[in-house]
Amino acid sequence: MISFIGRSVIQKIITLFFVSIVSFLIIHIAPGKPSQVDPMNPKFTPEVVERFQKEFHLDKPLHVQYLYFYKDLFTGETVSWKDNQSVLKKIWERFLNSLPLFIVGTIITWTLSFPIGIRSAIFRGQFYDRSATFLSYLLISIPGFFFAYVLIIFVVNQFHVPVIGMETFGIGDGASLPYIFMDRIWHLLLPSVLGATGGIAVLSRYVRSQMLEVEGQDYIRTAWAKGLPPEQVHYKHALRNALLPFVTMFGLILPGLIGGSVIIESIFSWPGMGRMAYEAILARDYPVILTVNFVSALLVLAGTFISDLLYLIVDPRIRL
Amino acid sequence: MNIEEKWFNEDFQFETSLAPKRTRLQEFWLLFKQNRLAILGLFIFILFFCCAIVGLFMTSGPDPLFDPAMIRLQEKLRPPLAKPNLDSLRREEIPYLGFYLMGTDDLGRDVFARMLQGAWVSLTVGFVAVGISVLIGIFMGGIAGYFGQHHLRVDHVLVTFLLISGAALVTANFIRFGAALLCLTLAYIFYSLSTKNRSREKTLSSWTKVFRKNTVSVDTLIMRIVDIMLCFPSFFLILTVVALLPASIYNIMIVIGLTSWMGTTRFVRAEFLSLREQDFVAAVKTLGAGNFRIIFRHMMPNAIAPVLVSATIGIATAILTEAGLSFLGFGVPPPHATWGNILSDGKNFIFDAPWLTFIPGIAILIVVLSFNLFGEGLRDVLNPKLRERL
Repeated sequence: MISFIGRSVIQKIITLFFVSIVSFLIIHIAPGKPSQVDPMNPKFTPEVVERFQKEFHLDKPLHVQYLYFYKDLFTGETVSWKDNQSVLKKIWERFLNSLPLFIVGTIITWTLSFPIGIRSAIFRGQFYDRSATFLSYLLISIPGFFFAYVLIIFVVNQFHVPVIGMETFGIGDGASLPYIFMDRIWHLLLPSVLGATGGIAVLSRYVRSQMLEVEGQDYIRTAWAKGLPPEQVHYKHALRNALLPFVTMFGLILPGLIGGSVIIESIFSWPGMGRMAYEAILARDYPVILTVNFVSALLVLAGTFISDLLYLIVDPRIRL
Repeated sequence: MNIEEKWFNEDFQFETSLAPKRTRLQEFWLLFKQNRLAILGLFIFILFFCCAIVGLFMTSGPDPLFDPAMIRLQEKLRPPLAKPNLDSLRREEIPYLGFYLMGTDDLGRDVFARMLQGAWVSLTVGFVAVGISVLIGIFMGGIAGYFGQHHLRVDHVLVTFLLISGAALVTANFIRFGAALLCLTLAYIFYSLSTKNRSREKTLSSWTKVFRKNTVSVDTLIMRIVDIMLCFPSFFLILTVVALLPASIYNIMIVIGLTSWMGTTRFVRAEFLSLREQDFVAAVKTLGAGNFRIIFRHMMPNAIAPVLVSATIGIATAILTEAGLSFLGFGVPPPHATWGNILSDGKNFIFDAPWLTFIPGIAILIVVLSFNLFGEGLRDVLNPKLRERL
């Protein structure tokens, strides 16, 4: 167990090192320089550009820049080129904004997809299963931004509530507390539902296939042969074993904190991490892009590590 | 001829086998036919393919039937099926059908013509991107699965490192030094190849033995590369690269292709690992077939099924990714119309001209859905567990 943890941590650190090199190279070797973002700006005189390059070590060779950048990152001194603020502080603020979206989206995904998947597996091949299958394909196939606009039109026309942004602009003074609360809920609901759609579709299919696999096992046949009531067979014998792989998926949802939310956050003007990354790309704010990349790689690796550990704990068969 | 002989002849004719023999394709089709959703997917897929090809011919050339770039400012934001105002148009500006089948956009361009052109662009983006990713995936997965147990020696690593640094030096304007490094490395490669051919067990001095030490195996190396690639959040990576590169349709295809080959690699590797141990591969090997022939003639056809499935679904994902990029403003640049950028242009007029959002949105939805349904149907049919049931 300890040797497994040690080996996997070392392996992940090596992977992270290469990820940091690759992402650094991708961004710095790509054509275009950050000083070219706004060439028409009269304030961007050659002297300013030179000072700017000196300030951020852009005149040094690549490997020196790499060392400077990651030294700054680990000491927490990285600053954004755009507004000279600390990148880590910026990311933390945006992360706190993204967190409610992520939590609500995850809750919606997990609470909906399990009942749907289990029911589909029990009624395999029947009307419920077929319609759930078709619906999940529909949800996977729908372009997120298109679905977002359809939902926005629907909600705005039907319920007459504003949904763009984190809260209605200027609501802070004079409104009663329940009103503010409802306002926040409405603003939170649509983006998190949108974030959850793909997850619901994929996860419910996965639950279904896991459940079907377990239902085909011999011990389920034994349970039926004993004359147990269907509820007990499905939920006590089958479901418990089918749930095993999903424990590990708790680790794998971690990277969802950053990836995939770019489009949704920019539609809803939600000041979260995805939107910050998008703005950083537009402004060629390399420190922010690189830090977001690094943090998300860190999250992916931490996620797989956690899921491996959970698997070890949950499933005694694979314990080393 | 007595009766017995006749019976005998009828029963044991060798031309017709006893059980109704079906070819693999017929068997495949019989299974596939049962899945109605997959048939629907295939039908829409073929329809879309025809539309895209017809659309390509109708919207390109010097004098196209439907001109997607024709601007009629006096006819902007006309709803679908609207008749053009004939008085205000010149003769060549009148739409070919006599009415705007899908309306016009904010510049008065015929949305139907733009959709036709966009169909071809979406199709090429999907196919080329997936083609790239499948090629890389098969190559990497094949090497990892077939040659996986071989170890890289220290000199291999050194040579690769020297080659890369030589190329980097050449590109970084240290041409003379870099070229010298490259020449030296190439010379070493030729030297080691020639000595390898001449004699295997030549007595080596102790310090050259260091270069022959094994490091990581090929399999580990490739799988670690896959791990590294999987660490990047894919859409964010694509967005970064596309935003930094000059906008062009080819860059988008290449970038989507280069960031989505990891799944295929894993499939192919897993298939190859199990195929390598099977008897027919051993048989082919004893017949003296070369590695190349074994891989491509004998193993690849058996490993191709999961690749086909993931490629079909990959096309759907690539179309969605392209639409997402167009939506964020990093998609295919303006002279080409794609469904993604029709939609993202149309979103500003969503209340005045909802057709500009809904027509491309629903078109993308239907096409992606058909690819997904077809791919899942394929997966079911190619699943050997299911085939035995027939």
